[in-house]
Amino acid sequence: MANESANEREAGGGRRWSSGRWTTVAIVAVVLGCALTTLDFLWAFLRAPMVSGANLSDGQAAIINGTVVSTRLLFSQKIFYFHVPVAIVSFCFIIAAAVYAVMFLARRRESYDLRSRLCMLVGLVFIVATMISGDLWTRHDWGVWWVWEPRLTTYFILMLLVIAYFILRAAVEDPETQARFAAVFAIVAAIDAPISFFITRLVPSSIHPVVIRTDSGLPPDMLVPFLAGIFGMALVGFGFFRLRLTLEEQAMEVESLKRSYEELLD
Amino acid sequence: MDPVLEEVYSTVLSGAPYVIGAYALIWVVLMVFVIMMLNRSRKTQKDIDALRESIERRKERTSRPDDVPTEGRSED
Repeated sequence: MANESANEREAGGGRRWSSGRWTTVAIVAVVLGCALTTLDFLWAFLRAPMVSGANLSDGQAAIINGTVVSTRLLFSQKIFYFHVPVAIVSFCFIIAAAVYAVMFLARRRESYDLRSRLCMLVGLVFIVATMISGDLWTRHDWGVWWVWEPRLTTYFILMLLVIAYFILRAAVEDPETQARFAAVFAIVAAIDAPISFFITRLVPSSIHPVVIRTDSGLPPDMLVPFLAGIFGMALVGFGFFRLRLTLEEQAMEVESLKRSYEELLD
Repeated sequence: MDPVLEEVYSTVLSGAPYVIGAYALIWVVLMVFVIMMLNRSRKTQKDIDALRESIERRKERTSRPDDVPTEGRSED
């Protein structure tokens, strides 16, 4: 690659110090993220109010804490507090992968390709987590494990695109060609992320609700766990990305040591 | 229990396992990723240590040219 010398410099002593510092930051981010998501879960499970579901039979009503309730209260909606944050983080990573891919195509630096690949990898982990949590919600509320409605379909396509990205990388041997093809594919795949996000607005008949709205007016008991979930999952994702990057740097060190050893043998 | 309240709260018991399951499974997925990273890190660290040791040994050997290399020497 055009920046081989820059990468070599990056692989030197300066990087090692910064790598150690980043590892500490990553671990702190993951621990903090775990704490926030635990708070999210406990708050959601124990404190967040339940939302209204179907009307009670025969038009009956009950008075709970001075409020007239004429609908069933949906407990399963509490999945929202961690399913949506995980989905948002997955979108962010796919978009970040595309941004790094654009940067790679513009500057041809190997480090951008590496970061793009890792964003895709962490994005895939969060996509799988979103799919599983969403499936449980779908099973309880809609009575089926899967339904081909617009949000689920576009998100499923996104997952397939991310998997295809790794298949493409594995199929191309030449590192430079692989990075170039993968960068273009990452950008194409990322187009599906905003489509999937906005599809509930674009297709009003979708049974998937529009979650992020300016008029949602979430009360503090719902907003606090939701925000804790978003920040917690974002921190966990960031921590994973940095830890994985450290691993890749270690792998680069192995390659560098192998080269040194081979030079000694010659 | 009041039959109306029973209907109002009818989704709580059926929904709770799904809520707990969703949260738990998200963490299972994330933990699998962490375990994979830890395993890879351990393996890479082992490789780094082994390579460093080999390089050190090789350097020691090359810095003492009078020494007879042990590699390939048959046991008498």
